[in-house]
Amino acid sequence: MPLKVMQPYAASAPKADWFVRTRVQPLPYLLLLPSLALIFLIELYPFINGVSFSVHKGSLLGTGPFVGLDNYLRLFNSADFYNSLWFSFVFAFCNVAISYLIGLALALFLNLDFPGRGICRVALLVPWIVPAVVSIVSWKWLIADRGGLVNIFLNSVGIGPIYFLSDSGWAMVAVIVIKIWRSFPFMMLSLLAALQVIDRTLYEAGKIDGANGRQLFWYITLPHLKNISIIQAILMTIWSINDFETPYLLTQGGPSNATENLILLSYRFTFGRNDVGRGSAVAILTLVVLMILSTIIMRQQRKAV
Amino acid sequence: MKQYRKWLLLGVGLVIVLLVDFPIITVALNSFRTTETIISSHSILPTQPTLANYLYINTRTRFWTFLINSGIVAACSTLLGIVLASLAGFAMSRYRARILASYNQALLIVQMFPLILAIIPLFIFFRKLDMVNNFVPVMLVYTLTQLPFATWMLRSYFDSIPRELDEAATMDGCSPLRIFLQIILPLTVPGIAAVAIFSFLFSYNEFFISSVFLRDEDRMTMPVGIQSFMQQYSTDWGSLMAAATLAMVPTLILFLFIQKYMISGATAGAVKG
Repeated sequence: MPLKVMQPYAASAPKADWFVRTRVQPLPYLLLLPSLALIFLIELYPFINGVSFSVHKGSLLGTGPFVGLDNYLRLFNSADFYNSLWFSFVFAFCNVAISYLIGLALALFLNLDFPGRGICRVALLVPWIVPAVVSIVSWKWLIADRGGLVNIFLNSVGIGPIYFLSDSGWAMVAVIVIKIWRSFPFMMLSLLAALQVIDRTLYEAGKIDGANGRQLFWYITLPHLKNISIIQAILMTIWSINDFETPYLLTQGGPSNATENLILLSYRFTFGRNDVGRGSAVAILTLVVLMILSTIIMRQQRKAV
Repeated sequence: MKQYRKWLLLGVGLVIVLLVDFPIITVALNSFRTTETIISSHSILPTQPTLANYLYINTRTRFWTFLINSGIVAACSTLLGIVLASLAGFAMSRYRARILASYNQALLIVQMFPLILAIIPLFIFFRKLDMVNNFVPVMLVYTLTQLPFATWMLRSYFDSIPRELDEAATMDGCSPLRIFLQIILPLTVPGIAAVAIFSFLFSYNEFFISSVFLRDEDRMTMPVGIQSFMQQYSTDWGSLMAAATLAMVPTLILFLFIQKYMISGATAGAVKG
């Protein structure tokens, strides 16, 4: 397909002009070749295989007989699948919404002029940049049943211990809170970058016209953040649905699958139960979910503004 | 009055920083306390600091193996990623062809692709080649996951080099490849270094792919190694915190080098797509 695109240029290009002549050269295609080879080897070819695995019975040792849509139908009849789908949605929605609000508030704050704000900016990015495993070690201690700081504090104010990791409801809360803590800095960073390029004179003009602070924010700041907000909402939804590390490292999907998202379910089928067929089917359905969600977000946000 | 408000804002800022970074600060503080004091004491500050946890990590665990493994995997995938991304970024910056627009779309898809979908077939594929517990598959997957953002960022750095330079060099008989290697690359070294550090950090921090492929203790990267500590000594908080503290030292150092590129990077990565 790429070579076909070249033909018309090759046929019509005059030889005189350097710029036109370079267009004809095969160089851009050669430059892309290594990257395309990697994408093919590590993503496209496995993807095709994955589609095929999802319609076969199979284990990690080898592919079995063709079973049609049986793997998918069994998923649609299992409570585990709906449970994971539900948790993935809750997880993604809470993470995107709350990270956005925190990120926006902090971006607005860090956009104010005060001494030491550079240090604050850098320090607030730390939760995002630290390895997931390090933050999970820390949080696991903070919310531990025995000797954990949160429970020591709760105890001292007279509230009984909360078993964060053995109660399904609290485990969900814990996974979501930690995910928000890990992802709001990136939201903050992007929004801050967008805030910094807003033309200052707009605010001056607004003030001259008698706008108050809330109006300035509503009619100048927010519209300028529209594009980056849409992009960030989509990216963060995708990243939340695709997140493996936070739930796996904290709870391994437990207790009783309460914090098992689609990725963990696929992982458990494949590597835990050695059922590659259903594991791949879950992974394909995850891709479908991602595509549907990003389309919905794009539509909604276009309509809204 | 104005002055007073500025200092008030700084105070608020510091309180927020303390709250947000609290879990990270406690890791470092707890690494200097024994597990017994971590569990029993009600204060956060180490009253009798000790290096016992670090000595334990040093003598009784494979910590340094994990660190070296992580370094090898991250360095190789970063190097490969920079080569691939700078070639593609140069093409996207200097040429106009329909394939380049399609390639940009492909990068977008790479960025949103659920990795588990690729990991299952890749695991089976590399298992047949007897390459589980081998760094190569992990490095290749890391390179791929870094490709979109590295290409977009490098492209924006190349875009900032005026095209007049290319044209002048062409007049003097310089080939496009030499323009790239001898003019554009040397001029964008700081940008390339920033992208390289980003990529390195990403690979160094990554857990999922490593945990699928690297199961042998000799081959584990740092995050996988710490996770296996967590499973073996789930209540030995002192050693765990020491390992976690050591693990984040390289991350924080590298982060300080690139923090000023962060904001431009965030916009290049997100908006360009």
